[in-house]
Amino acid sequence: MSEPRRRPRRAPPSRRQFLRLAGTAAVVPATSGLLAACVRAAGSRSVSGALTLAAPDHPVLWPISAGNDPIADNLTPERNATLRLYNYADYIAPAAIKAFEKKYARYNVNVTVSTFNDTDEAITKIRTGAVPYDIYFPSYDQISRLVAAELVRPLNHSYLTNIDKVWATFQNPWYDQRWRYTVPYTVYTTGIGWRTDKVSTDIASLANPYDALWDAKYRGETAVIDDWHTAMAMCLLRAGKNDINTASSADLQVISQQLSELQRTSQPKVTITMYNDLPAGQLGQCQMWSGDVINAQYYLPKHTPVSLLRYWFPPDGHGMVDNDLMVILRDGKNPVLAHLFVQFMLDTKNALTNFSFVGYQPPQRSLVPDTVVARGFVPKNLSTAVVQEEYFDVGYRLLELTVDNDAAWHRIWLAFKAGG
Amino acid sequence: MAAAFTVTLRWFRKRFSLWSILSLPGIAWLVLFFLAPLYVVLAIVFGAVDPTFRTPTPIWNPAHWRAGQFTYVIDRIFGSDAVFGPALLRTAIYVLAASVVCVTVAFPVAYYVARLSGRRKGLILALLIAPFWISYMMRMLAWVNLLADDGLVNKLLSFGGLFNVHEQWLSGKSIVVILGLVYGYVPYMILPLYAGLDRLPQSVLEAARDLGANRARAFVRVVLPMCRPTIVAGVLLTCLPMLGDYYTNDLLSGSPSTAMVGNLIDQTVLTPGETGYAGAFVMIVLVVSLIPMLYYVRSVAKSELTAT
Repeated sequence: MSEPRRRPRRAPPSRRQFLRLAGTAAVVPATSGLLAACVRAAGSRSVSGALTLAAPDHPVLWPISAGNDPIADNLTPERNATLRLYNYADYIAPAAIKAFEKKYARYNVNVTVSTFNDTDEAITKIRTGAVPYDIYFPSYDQISRLVAAELVRPLNHSYLTNIDKVWATFQNPWYDQRWRYTVPYTVYTTGIGWRTDKVSTDIASLANPYDALWDAKYRGETAVIDDWHTAMAMCLLRAGKNDINTASSADLQVISQQLSELQRTSQPKVTITMYNDLPAGQLGQCQMWSGDVINAQYYLPKHTPVSLLRYWFPPDGHGMVDNDLMVILRDGKNPVLAHLFVQFMLDTKNALTNFSFVGYQPPQRSLVPDTVVARGFVPKNLSTAVVQEEYFDVGYRLLELTVDNDAAWHRIWLAFKAGG
Repeated sequence: MAAAFTVTLRWFRKRFSLWSILSLPGIAWLVLFFLAPLYVVLAIVFGAVDPTFRTPTPIWNPAHWRAGQFTYVIDRIFGSDAVFGPALLRTAIYVLAASVVCVTVAFPVAYYVARLSGRRKGLILALLIAPFWISYMMRMLAWVNLLADDGLVNKLLSFGGLFNVHEQWLSGKSIVVILGLVYGYVPYMILPLYAGLDRLPQSVLEAARDLGANRARAFVRVVLPMCRPTIVAGVLLTCLPMLGDYYTNDLLSGSPSTAMVGNLIDQTVLTPGETGYAGAFVMIVLVVSLIPMLYYVRSVAKSELTAT
């Protein structure tokens, strides 16, 4: 009878094996250290302490830290320079850029545009300092982090005399008192866009127009904006709640229920390409930014009249209103040219050139609804997409949330996006 | 100097065979582009989050790893609040269905090219590879136009206006996503199947026929068993990228009702504070991918054993 086979016992390691093992053991922490060093080498400015969050009822005057002073007055622009803009795709008119290069041709200026998909991605890249972008186009809800991490350069107002051409509300905004770091770029509202040939309901005349997006009749033809805060805030507005930055768990529960109902009834597409999908006929109605519906007229197929496009935003201004900014980055190599570019974009003529390309309205004093329509920037049937200064007195702003609240909102959005 | 070099070379030759030296670039590649990135993912999944920017802060020392982000994802797959469960289940069903359709479509095509196409083999092969010349995204965008409400598909189905067809193909239909996956990945199935079927010895098939098997029986008893490792390889080649695919769903549906695990990764990876979740999803996909991979290894080992 043979003995049962046994698993051979491992012999004690020889001296050579021990050395090899010890070497491996030494390599793992060394690799960890190397990777950690690589990350540190990439460089990222950290912030200590809690962030100050600005709000309309809590305006903030951001400090100017030592060593990050504004540039001096009357400096000569940098010569043979490449001015680097960091922006969303198609969010600045090439004609405006060319005009700037032409204006400062004697300094041999070249302007380049790098693009990002969303501002979180942008800020991550800016923090690495890998590319010395000069001007960045963020939303106002990023300003606290940009200032706290000292990523932005304070403005020298002597270069920016065109500021008096923009709405008064942006000459001392609550998110940046005394406009130390920011100037406004565009303004927009968030409402509902639709096509009259696909949606028989007159959405604007509904008691609660937001209900249209929950209407099962338009299942397969509906979309909401793929931006967590914008889409979720609409759920609150539909439910009659105006605090679109709420930290209340009951309100968050309302959002969650509204999103589930939305999924169950109209099963919307979640996208940011409605400026193309609506005119192309792939959508009948959608949550939409005013700038996108203005842009949509250029994406209509041949022989499709622009008159079938509609846009609703609460006429009394009690809806979501927002604005984007221009800031000069601290790591940029051309601060003087950057100031000149900002000044250039604040000029009415150049701002209008930009408006006609991007569809997003600059907050220029000279632009009132009638002139915007009369001058052909916006067709008459989309006059509701024109942003008015008064909206910013009563409209709801999407604010930067506290870290815990932000995480709670994101968790609900992720659950919705998972289709669970 | 020369003597020292010769001695070193001799020592090197004595210690290591030529083949082990030749494997060094491959090993270096694996370490640099697989193991190191995998370790980075682990350091992020089990790492921390920057309290201000909410960007991931990797923890490199495993002794200090935190399981919070990983357990958050796991709890939402299997726990009472299983919001991610449906997306994972959906991914499994879509990938399984698409793989089955891929095999069904690819096998006859590969069989025809390998064994019956004769002199046209080269041409047909070139045509099969042709889709690779166009980017995956462009091909999907083409389908977006074809499947649009006023697109060619609805026009064809309406037989020139005879019927009123207004099917909304791009409005979150599972079948469209599955067929999109099939369309996108079927060439990856055809090519390995072709390679396997082309190598099938004709003599074995003739022997089966000589021994009385009809065509169908010869196919079932001889061709299919001999092709099993090839079929498994083809399924692996298609289902592994399908598991991480997100843009097919993005382009052909865009609705959360058809979201796959790739969409969850895409959604979370750049969301502040959620990059660790993306890493956790990646780890889950990796572990799930290992199962067919192990089956493949076992299948190949078994067939080699049979051959010897």
